Amino acid sequence: MNSSSKQLQSAQSMNMQSRLLAHAPFLVACSMLVVIVAIYGSLQTGVFTIDEINLNTAAAMTLMLAATGQTIVLLRGGIDLSIGGMISLGTVIAATRFGDDPANILLWSGIILAIGFGIGALTGLLISVLRLQPFLVTLAGWSILNGIALMILPTDGGKVPEWWIGSGYLEFLGLGTPVWILLALIVFWCWFRATRLCTIIKATGSSEKSAFLSGVSITRINIITYGLSGFFAALASLYLTTQIGGGSPNIGTDYILPSVAAAIIGGVSLFGGRGHLFGTIVGAYILTLIGNLVFVLRVSSYWQPVMSGVILLLAVLASSYAEQKARKRGS
Amino acid sequence: MDIVQVKGLTKRFGGIVALDGADFSARLGEVHALLGENGAGKSTFIQILSGALNHDGGDILVDGQDYRPVNPDEALGRGIAAVFQELSLVPDLSVEQNIWFRREPRTWLRTVDVSQMRQQTLELFERYHFPSIATTREVRNLTLAERQIVEVAKGLAKNPRILILDEATSALPASEATWLLSLARQLADEGRLVIFISHRMGEVRAIADRVSVFRNGSTVATHDAAAVSDDQIVTEMIGRQLARLYPERMDTATDRVALQVRDFSSPPMLNGVNFDLREGEVLGVGGLQGHGQREMFQSLFGADKALGSVTLWGKPVCFDTPRQALSGSEGIALVPEDRRGQGLLLTKSVRENLSLPVIRRFSHLGLLNQRKEAELVRETMKSLSIKADTPEQIAGTLSGGNQQKVIFGKMLMTQARVLLLYDPTRGVDVGTKGEIFQLMRQLASEGYAILFYSSDLPELVNVADRVMVLRSGRVARMLEGDDITEEEILRAAVFDSEAA
Ligand SMILES: Nc1ncnc2c1ncn2[C@@H]1O[C@H](COP(=O)(O)OP(=O)(O)OP(=O)(O)O)[C@@H](O)[C@H]1O
Ligand SMILES: [Mg+2]
Repeated sequence: MNSSSKQLQSAQSMNMQSRLLAHAPFLVACSMLVVIVAIYGSLQTGVFTIDEINLNTAAAMTLMLAATGQTIVLLRGGIDLSIGGMISLGTVIAATRFGDDPANILLWSGIILAIGFGIGALTGLLISVLRLQPFLVTLAGWSILNGIALMILPTDGGKVPEWWIGSGYLEFLGLGTPVWILLALIVFWCWFRATRLCTIIKATGSSEKSAFLSGVSITRINIITYGLSGFFAALASLYLTTQIGGGSPNIGTDYILPSVAAAIIGGVSLFGGRGHLFGTIVGAYILTLIGNLVFVLRVSSYWQPVMSGVILLLAVLASSYAEQKARKRGS
Repeated sequence: MDIVQVKGLTKRFGGIVALDGADFSARLGEVHALLGENGAGKSTFIQILSGALNHDGGDILVDGQDYRPVNPDEALGRGIAAVFQELSLVPDLSVEQNIWFRREPRTWLRTVDVSQMRQQTLELFERYHFPSIATTREVRNLTLAERQIVEVAKGLAKNPRILILDEATSALPASEATWLLSLARQLADEGRLVIFISHRMGEVRAIADRVSVFRNGSTVATHDAAAVSDDQIVTEMIGRQLARLYPERMDTATDRVALQVRDFSSPPMLNGVNFDLREGEVLGVGGLQGHGQREMFQSLFGADKALGSVTLWGKPVCFDTPRQALSGSEGIALVPEDRRGQGLLLTKSVRENLSLPVIRRFSHLGLLNQRKEAELVRETMKSLSIKADTPEQIAGTLSGGNQQKVIFGKMLMTQARVLLLYDPTRGVDVGTKGEIFQLMRQLASEGYAILFYSSDLPELVNVADRVMVLRSGRVARMLEGDDITEEEILRAAVFDSEAA
């Protein structure tokens, strides 16, 4: 009796431990963020103000939106490089079609989002039908979309109306537009991660064979996940136009690798099945704040990619360490 | 009328013929056993029935209507669900998420209703007396036996009229296997059809109403279970008479200790195991599942950590990785529990699986001696009668039992002379089981030392020279000679005894 209750206890504490381990990559990301904020705060005054939060969230928002789609694709066990092309394409379409009429702008925003979802869905379909690596298909997709963006607008330019730009800087209850978008993202994820669809996406990323044997249509899941990724890339491009005030045919390229890095730093597994958007959001903040840190440290801005790389490496180490621990414990 | 009627079913994989005109017919309310050698086509057949594979030719009627499911959902629509041999669980989801996967109860927000789902799980577990498993654990942390039980729950949760169990008992310890057998019986008595695949004749005898025998992709015969003898079934399965299953006892053990284990522990599962394994000996390991057997095998092989002292052929050793354990003729080799995880490279060929771990044996100055490699691979495949089209067939496409044989062969190709066999005959057909036991005896007489765990008690009783029974991570008893009986093993596994 006694020994069995002891066994139960140790089983429970093991359960606690393995739950902690499962969240280790996310917790590591959170602590890195805390450290970075602390360093930043000690070097710069006024870091802990709402203004600063608004500012940094604005700086991180495009990346966050792009990385949201990337997170969904990563959970499915894929990767989407084509978001780079989609973001560029979105900005140039907006910059050339918006005009001044709000109704027209609304219409074209809808069209851009639809194009994002449609092209993503097509990518997912191609991956399933051609049975090719997502890496290759989306790499090609990036190149093609980028080309189309250049055809529409060969150099930075075009324009969006002032009030559209201004809508990116509205304030409500002291919080700026980007913070409200962030809250909406969080609410979205709280809902999304509890849906059947999210379970199916994670399951497919965890074991495609098992998912198939359980009746999942892999083609359908590919269409949905890459479609969502395209949709979020389009959303990112719309937000980006409020930041740059026009179109830029190559700008999306800057978001491809950071979107993957943000997710990985936040603990999303590159092999699918594990992770969540909250991690990605933390990851996006970390990558953005490193830029600020480099600025206040007054070192050469070339240090920014170096530091990003080191942090990525640390995050990957943390998650693989946790993974191994969990393996040992389980299996 | 029979609910399932199959006529002349054929299925090819490239040049490999898996089904060659199989016939089958079964009715509601019966347990219908499907028997056949490894690679006879049983799993292929049930994968077609359950919509995981398409068939090339032949007809299937369900309820007298044409049936050609293109996916598992469609099969379920007609009331058919399967518990697959190579489990269909998702490692990163929890037990309950797996059981109700894609059919979770939902709230008005279209999100999964977790408390309702938990409730349903508990009800299901209670209704069919499931062994207890925490419903929130992630499947990746479960043992193979636990996964198998969850897979059964997943099949049952679909409430099918026809439930197919493909070697569902093979990974289960005795008590759970018994539970599953009575569950199958109960389901049939409720008016469902249970198609039951197993290589254990005793189980088939215990519950089957009728028996169909497959050989080389076609049906040999269907019998009423009561009207046919074991011998006849086995003869039909393997196409010849089986001389004997268990080898003759020989005492080949010497006084030389091959593996000495002292105070071997890794709490909470292993709490100080002591034993000597002698040269030429087959030492059986028994006990209820989850009493440290798996951990002991894993740790001895260096795949897990443990404290204590291990002496191999007189030299103290401490293996941190399997690579160290495998090195040289003074090493230890393991046949692991989880063939798909640890044992096999599923996407590589049979040849590569057999030779990669010992590739150094065939290379000289970095060049590969392909002739020597091919020869050894051929020999191993022959001695274990591995049924593959060519040595280049991808391991993942072999039948379950044949995958198990490749793992056994892989271990033989290492030169280690201390062998750890963890359930080496799991999913292996009777004919080959006999050959594997024969081989174990022969190796023992050549001076190998073998530690042998089996979830099948008769195997322990008939093959091992001594049997050590583990309880709570300790050796509860060491049985020798006439004491080695099924009753004694069970008694030692369950009750406190004088030796404890
Ligand atoms: N995907 C595949 N590609 C090639 N050959 C295959 C594939 N799946 C099965 N086979 C072959 O079909 C034959 C029948 O396999 P099947 O799995 O149906 O056998 P089984 O009767 O279930 O055997 P076991 O008792 O070992 O589980 C085997 O020779 C196997 O190698
Ligand atoms: Mg099979």
